Amino acid sequence: MSEPELVVARSRAELRALAPTGKLIAGGTDLLVQIRAGREEHRLIDVSNLSDPPPVMSQLDGSVELSALAPISRVIGALEGRLPGLDASARLFGSIQIRNRATIGGNLQNASPAADMVPPLVAAGAVAHLEGPDGERDMAVTDLAAGPGRTVLEPGEWIATVTVPLPDGEEGFRKLGGREAMAISIVNLAWRWSRSEDRTLSGVRLSVGAVAPTVIRAPQAELELEGRRPTPEVIASAVAALRAAISPIDDVRGSAWYRREVAGRLLEEALYREGGG
Amino acid sequence: MRETTGLRVNGRTVSAADPAKRLLDFLRDDLDLTGAKEGCGMGECGACTVLVDGEPVCSCLVLVGQVADAEVVTAEGLAAQGLHPVQEAFVQAHASQCGFCTPGMIVSAAALLARDPRPDEEAVRLALAGNLCRCTGYASIFAALQRTREP
Repeated sequence: MSEPELVVARSRAELRALAPTGKLIAGGTDLLVQIRAGREEHRLIDVSNLSDPPPVMSQLDGSVELSALAPISRVIGALEGRLPGLDASARLFGSIQIRNRATIGGNLQNASPAADMVPPLVAAGAVAHLEGPDGERDMAVTDLAAGPGRTVLEPGEWIATVTVPLPDGEEGFRKLGGREAMAISIVNLAWRWSRSEDRTLSGVRLSVGAVAPTVIRAPQAELELEGRRPTPEVIASAVAALRAAISPIDDVRGSAWYRREVAGRLLEEALYREGGG
Repeated sequence: MRETTGLRVNGRTVSAADPAKRLLDFLRDDLDLTGAKEGCGMGECGACTVLVDGEPVCSCLVLVGQVADAEVVTAEGLAAQGLHPVQEAFVQAHASQCGFCTPGMIVSAAALLARDPRPDEEAVRLALAGNLCRCTGYASIFAALQRTREP
């Protein structure tokens, strides 16, 4: 295995020119592991030293724009709890050492079905702002991944920021992994909903990871909950709909059967503990 | 290729010939700073933890050219003016057995104390979640951190 060379982009303009000539590296916490495991890259373009990076966080009207190039620990620090679901997933993301390097853009671009930052962004309806040699464009975060490890980004394109609508009601995140820190999710789940005084749920959005080739929404399960109170019967229907919507696989971390079981349990737990059920 | 002249390690300005080298290899092989250890080489074990601009990172997952303008501190650097309080506490509490994880543990713990001088046990556990130890069972390490809280 020959070591790839490293070129450091010093500005966004420089990055636009350099990006098509190699593989972009931000925190490197996944990419460098993959390269050591045999992934072939001849040239790495560093995006972590831009003189004009996007702001770590900008408060917009009803939403926040987060840097996809800044370490997750800095983004979460700047958010100060505005996005509790993303906050919860970030706290379970790797370790402090990893969060000090890894970025939201890297987690999205790596396109792991088990990526922990993705379900809260998908549940929130977040939009990624892409930059590249041919200009800029926006894309829903849910549309970025094409399959495990693959995105729909064009060569030389990168994720600069992610705009996340602030929640009207509640949002949360739960994962099951081998341990709390440093564990790849066996299943993870993010949710958003609002609860009226009589516990009727509205604006329900569910996103689940590690149960399909990409992180997915679960629209049928959302429909089972929308406009209803989370009674045991309603919860059971939503859980059944969620289990029907996913297509998990067997791997070293869990069997398909187990993942289907756990995905339902995570939703059940979320609804009973935090959804008024 | 740009020269990496802004890099400081333990207060000393250094230059790295190969920006694609892992920070861990640069520290160990070029600077002879063997405190940071390679355990897993995948960011799982934390034995290679160093401070980059005050924040703990796994030096096995950083290329030296990515931190060319940064201030890096290793376990050796923490002891520049005599043992750091965390190091002293590890000695007093017998918090090392084989010692392989110790430099990384100490760097993570020093970073914790820098932002939270009196962490409770939960904060200690969270701060050290990225540092694995296969000998101590962690009890003596937590006891060492407890010592730093005592007046």
